[in-house]
Amino acid sequence: MFDLVYNTIFFASFGNIYGLSNITLSLSDVLLAYIVAILVSIIVALVLRLPLLPSKPYRYSFDVSALYPTPIIAIGIFSIFLVLNYTFIYNGIVLAAIIGIISALFVKYLFDFVFPKPLDEDGGEDIQ
Amino acid sequence: MNEVIGIIIAAVLCWLNFVIVDTYFGLPEQPGVRGARIVGEDVKRRGGDIAGGFFQGNILCSPDASAGTLMAAIGYLLLGIPGGIIAAFLIFIGNRLCADPGYAGTVGSLTATIIVFICSFVGLTPEMFIVGMVIAILTVQGIDQVRASIFLGKIAQKFNRHAEE
Repeated sequence: MFDLVYNTIFFASFGNIYGLSNITLSLSDVLLAYIVAILVSIIVALVLRLPLLPSKPYRYSFDVSALYPTPIIAIGIFSIFLVLNYTFIYNGIVLAAIIGIISALFVKYLFDFVFPKPLDEDGGEDIQ
Repeated sequence: MNEVIGIIIAAVLCWLNFVIVDTYFGLPEQPGVRGARIVGEDVKRRGGDIAGGFFQGNILCSPDASAGTLMAAIGYLLLGIPGGIIAAFLIFIGNRLCADPGYAGTVGSLTATIIVFICSFVGLTPEMFIVGMVIAILTVQGIDQVRASIFLGKIAQKFNRHAEE
């Protein structure tokens, strides 16, 4: 009567029917989706009032900003979805936008809890 | 392309990629963590260059462009261009866990992905880049650490990234 495995797969397939319908993305679609992910993540991060660039000196700054970790996280997670062949509706553009928004929210609110900055005394020396 | 020639070309490309990216992002300038300082001072005591020692300590202690190039080649072998970008993402996580801001690692793996993609038209396969990257790291860390550190120090001086001490 209640088949756990069947029901789980059936429920998961609700999200997947759109993904399986357009497995054959062309190269331009993938490129466009990557550009959308990068742009949406940067714009949402700027809307959330993250700074555009990390604080000076740039090369040793642990601060998050709109340009440095946000697009990397967005395109990284989008690539994982892409290689798993799950690209939601509209050739993956909607998925890219959703991932961009979520990665900007993650960088703004959760990043410092997940990856705390090193302590001054024993984490990194000489960090100006 | 012949495998041996391909591996040599890939090793040269990987070496240039990771040394240029790592030097630009300031690895020879200062040790990011305490282990890198210990390695650098040990290399200096054996007659090497302090900036090259910091460079070697830093690529030993956290995944920088060297590990980024290697992982981008492996990711490209497995999954294509998205694999290289996933490698950049994983390198970023690893960098933050190692008390490193992570600019060198992510930029290095993205540039390595681009290099592997461009060279795939010439006939260089990602496997050649994996072997080449192992050889490139061996020349920096394995064969003669002191002479390698002096050479890396000269490159750091060219880039104006030499340690002040």
